[in-house]
Amino acid sequence: MSAQRQVAYAASCPDCDVDLHGDDPNEIVEFYRRHSSVTGHDVEFTRIQPDLTDAVTEDDLKEVYTLEDVVAKLEAEYEDGVPIGAVAAAMSEQGLSIGETLEKIHEIRMGGGLYEPQDDHLRAF
Amino acid sequence: MTQWDDSRAAAVSENVADESSTSSANQLADPDPFETEKETVFGEYWMYAGHANSIAEPGQFFTRTVGDRQLIVVRGHDGEIKAFDNVCAHRGSKMVEDTPMTDPGGGSRIQCPYHLWTYDLDGELRSTPKSFEDASLNPDLENEDVQEFDCETNGLNDVHVDSVGPLLFVSLSDDPPALSEQVGVMTDRLESLSLEGYEHGRRIAEEVECNWKTVAGAALERLRRGDRLAGLEPSDAALETADRHWLVRSTRDGGREAQVHYLWPNLTIEVYDDVDGYGTCRIDPIDGDRCQLIADYYVRDGDLEEKERERIRTSRRRRAELVELAGRRRDDHEASAQARLEPDDTVGSLHQLVTGGDADR
Repeated sequence: MSAQRQVAYAASCPDCDVDLHGDDPNEIVEFYRRHSSVTGHDVEFTRIQPDLTDAVTEDDLKEVYTLEDVVAKLEAEYEDGVPIGAVAAAMSEQGLSIGETLEKIHEIRMGGGLYEPQDDHLRAF
Repeated sequence: MTQWDDSRAAAVSENVADESSTSSANQLADPDPFETEKETVFGEYWMYAGHANSIAEPGQFFTRTVGDRQLIVVRGHDGEIKAFDNVCAHRGSKMVEDTPMTDPGGGSRIQCPYHLWTYDLDGELRSTPKSFEDASLNPDLENEDVQEFDCETNGLNDVHVDSVGPLLFVSLSDDPPALSEQVGVMTDRLESLSLEGYEHGRRIAEEVECNWKTVAGAALERLRRGDRLAGLEPSDAALETADRHWLVRSTRDGGREAQVHYLWPNLTIEVYDDVDGYGTCRIDPIDGDRCQLIADYYVRDGDLEEKERERIRTSRRRRAELVELAGRRRDDHEASAQARLEPDDTVGSLHQLVTGGDADR
């Protein structure tokens, strides 16, 4: 029997009791957008790629605290900008839902703290 | 045994028999046709938008995406429901955020957040900021460049709305046929159910890794077998079909009649016999390989009691079985690239409608 490959990310909507699995963290964000647009429900990460949690540890999150710092910390891992899904996954360790993280990202972008080198990818100024 | 009403079945089944013998099942899951379907199906037919009771007050609205178009469905000050593209007539910006029917928005006007163009609930342009009208307030504007906006020609883009009872449908077509032509004899049947006497109780949305027609075909396959209704012997169920709708009805022990309607192209309506309520489920494509099932449950006062929650759990189990069946059909289609659809294949019926093979359209 072959072992089933575990995908890097998973998220679920507790209200609907549905979930989505994928290797690309931005797939989870797309799922959130589709789901939220018809239900208004938020979506939570239930699995996060271990590399990501290694890159931004719980101690980091306690220490750096701000979302911009999380983006800055992850920039080394992603050449073309940090996928917002990876940021959302890291921030979920701090207790933020995907919807809450996207709202924060929007606020910070409007304030000039972050920019998008490509759609749904972030860099810190 | 499931009974067919042949007088109503004729239009579809004859065509399907002609056409499906040359149809490849793989065409149904090919992502390219989806782009075409946005025009030929989702841009052409009446699509279920939502329930009128969810926007009972003037100014209440919800958004709905059909194909690539985002719409606002709003109840006007006069109580009439209208729909518009969610696009400002000024620069084409999205005006209101996605707002599900289950948590409707509200307001006396619709205002674009970018340049504050403001529209009445009937879509007419009501006002623009002073800076558009007074050059002294706008360094980028000269007096001679000040435009007078014609409120009618600068209004929101209207989308056709019609209803069967409280069920609201929209059509993106410029000149659609009457909704009653698409819904056919089901108009009277559905209206006789007094669906407006029920309130929304619960919404559940889930995604399926299947083309929307594969899921629709699986739903119709189950309808034909009469096994979608809990505990029914096939002989209890009667199936009626016509060009664009399918219906299974059944009565157990002289109780309430259970009904499952499938309305072309992507809506099921299930009237329960074990609780006083009904459910709708629409199958919305995400792309050529995935779709979203959006199920709504309606009960008398909107508050769910245990027997109604149990009914929802039962519906979910049945939907999970449906998704499993659709997955098997998808795998079958992928496994046999040249698979031929059987003449009485319900997926063939859908394919017939998707490709416009029915004679009267």
